[in-house]
Amino acid sequence: MAVGLTLIFGVMRVVNFAHGDMMVWGMYLAFVLSTRAGIDPYVSFVVCAAALFVLGVAVQRGLVDRILAAPHEMQILLMLGVALVLENTALLAFGPEPARVRSPLARLTWDVGPLYVDVARLVTFGLAIVLTLALSLFLFHTERGRLIRAAADNPYGAMVIGTDVRRVYATAFGIGAACVGAAGALVSPILPFQPPTGLSLSVTSFNIVIIGGMGSLLGAFIGGLLVSVAESLGAVFLRPSLKELFSFSLLILILLLRPAGLFGRRAS
Amino acid sequence: MTRLTRRTFLKIAVGGAAVVGGPGAPRAQAKTFKIGAVHPVTGPLAEPGQACRLGAQMAVEAVNAAGGIKGKGGLKLELLVGDTQTKPENGRVEAERVVNQGAQMLLGSFDSGSTNAMVSVAQQKRVPFLIDIAAADPITANVAKSVKEGQQKVQYVYRNFPTASSFGRKAVQYFTEIFAEAKVTPKRVVLMYCNDLFGQSQSRGFLAAYKVAKPAWTLLEDDVIAWPEPPSDLSTEVSKAKALKPDVISPITRPASAQLLLPEIRKQRLDILGIIGPGSPGFYEAGQIAVLKDDVEYAMVSNPWANFKNPRTNQVADEYKKRSHGKTFDTNSGYSYDAILVIADVLERATNLDDADAIVDALKTTNYTGGLMQYAGPIHFNELGDNPNAVTTMTQILGQKAVAVWPREAALQKFVFPRPRA
Repeated sequence: MAVGLTLIFGVMRVVNFAHGDMMVWGMYLAFVLSTRAGIDPYVSFVVCAAALFVLGVAVQRGLVDRILAAPHEMQILLMLGVALVLENTALLAFGPEPARVRSPLARLTWDVGPLYVDVARLVTFGLAIVLTLALSLFLFHTERGRLIRAAADNPYGAMVIGTDVRRVYATAFGIGAACVGAAGALVSPILPFQPPTGLSLSVTSFNIVIIGGMGSLLGAFIGGLLVSVAESLGAVFLRPSLKELFSFSLLILILLLRPAGLFGRRAS
Repeated sequence: MTRLTRRTFLKIAVGGAAVVGGPGAPRAQAKTFKIGAVHPVTGPLAEPGQACRLGAQMAVEAVNAAGGIKGKGGLKLELLVGDTQTKPENGRVEAERVVNQGAQMLLGSFDSGSTNAMVSVAQQKRVPFLIDIAAADPITANVAKSVKEGQQKVQYVYRNFPTASSFGRKAVQYFTEIFAEAKVTPKRVVLMYCNDLFGQSQSRGFLAAYKVAKPAWTLLEDDVIAWPEPPSDLSTEVSKAKALKPDVISPITRPASAQLLLPEIRKQRLDILGIIGPGSPGFYEAGQIAVLKDDVEYAMVSNPWANFKNPRTNQVADEYKKRSHGKTFDTNSGYSYDAILVIADVLERATNLDDADAIVDALKTTNYTGGLMQYAGPIHFNELGDNPNAVTTMTQILGQKAVAVWPREAALQKFVFPRPRA
């Protein structure tokens, strides 16, 4: 989930406030594919990623591209507007009830001694590693990936050597949206969702990305692990109702001690 | 031939629109009694808010179809709807808006925060306000106190819904009676709740009632487990509950947290006699049951519930199901429906509908028996403005349907407790 956000920010310096709502749309697509076509979300996540890729490209080409040079507050307003449209379209299309996708995998647990392992979470974790690795390979070992990194590092320089920066931006935004679409489908059997869920998902994503370092794929992955472990330990050692205190305290600590995040680069 | 330019076309189009859309011959508009119905129709509480709005709308249509307010020349009711967007501060904004549009009474608003915000509008603008749903005790008690102490002259705020403290009292009473009937005495009942205003007030009410009642069964008062709402994961919370070796899990949920909690209880294989909630949504709604399936089977919850022994309730429930695409006529739609019926009864008896105080006088003398929900007696309002006969019913999911199982006079089926082992 956070990998997509960090990719979009890393390349375009645009904070995607509609990120959580895009994820909710990934969840609803998985829900529709499951209820209408009987496709398990652990299969349909590929379709959801593709659909969100198209949505991401459309949002970038139609809206974000026009405000890339605008002040940050304009970008924030635009992305908040996109978030509102996505949330309320979901409300109109699917209604306000919380939904959850049913999958046989989500019912399985394995007992390992005194511990129990939730198979759905384990599979989701495995697929998250695979997808992050695949994205990393794409960015660092393919021509298109190099172009994206070039445009992220120095758009003017990339343009000088003949890169179609607008196209690269659209691809990067599409890939970011595809990541969150896949993430949405993969957690849809674990996490109940409704149209307003996007906001809390966006907040969690920002927390993770700031801790890991804005623009860093590895940072987003490690940040995600840190936030979830911090919350679980907080629930065990403090009271469960205070578990978010742990993850947000971690955020404050990182901002104080290492403002660029664990793996982020300092702004020059 | 003259060429049709864009400018000419626009002139013609605008002129034509003005002629077609302009006011024709003045039409006499029938006078209606306007009720401002404010609910959270968007945002996280949109589901219950939309149920409230549809319930109120259906009741208005039913009253109008039956001839309106007969004692006032067949006066028809009209709803002016408002949306709090699940933001408490919008309760005031929306209440002011509908009052400025001509609302002569207010109705709302599902959550205690926005309902409280509407109270100040009702009191300041002298608009009688009937609360259809909102449980926090202070909403009416504060107004009653300020009237008693002479700070305000008239109480305009009344409530036809159980208060949080009565939720707690009834839950402890039903738990005690059901355990006695089942001949079991659970020694480790674990209370788990969503840590928002609703969850906090419900859990406080339940704990306070337990302390007063001192029942034979034991609630682990020092090991209450709360989670931040909305939660993204409840596995740690359920692990903590499991470590307490519970006999009964007693959850206070929201619909989304119920969808996390109940599967987690199954996944972690808690060896319990049953799941019995002291009062919350999330267990009984048709959409929830469809998602939770066997995870919610045999779960019980003490909630305000419709009286399905009343044939009229069943008729309305059938119509509601059709109009809501398969939803159950339950707490939210039901209490909003009843609120309109109470308002219609009040308007029949009020001496002057243009005088807010005359409407309040009629409210105070209410003794209405036509409600569709389960009541302990006629709807009337005590010195605080609350209906003491608005009570909860214990419902249980049996055969994937929510059924009233306790108290005996409301029960449609015998409860199943302890639940069968998987």
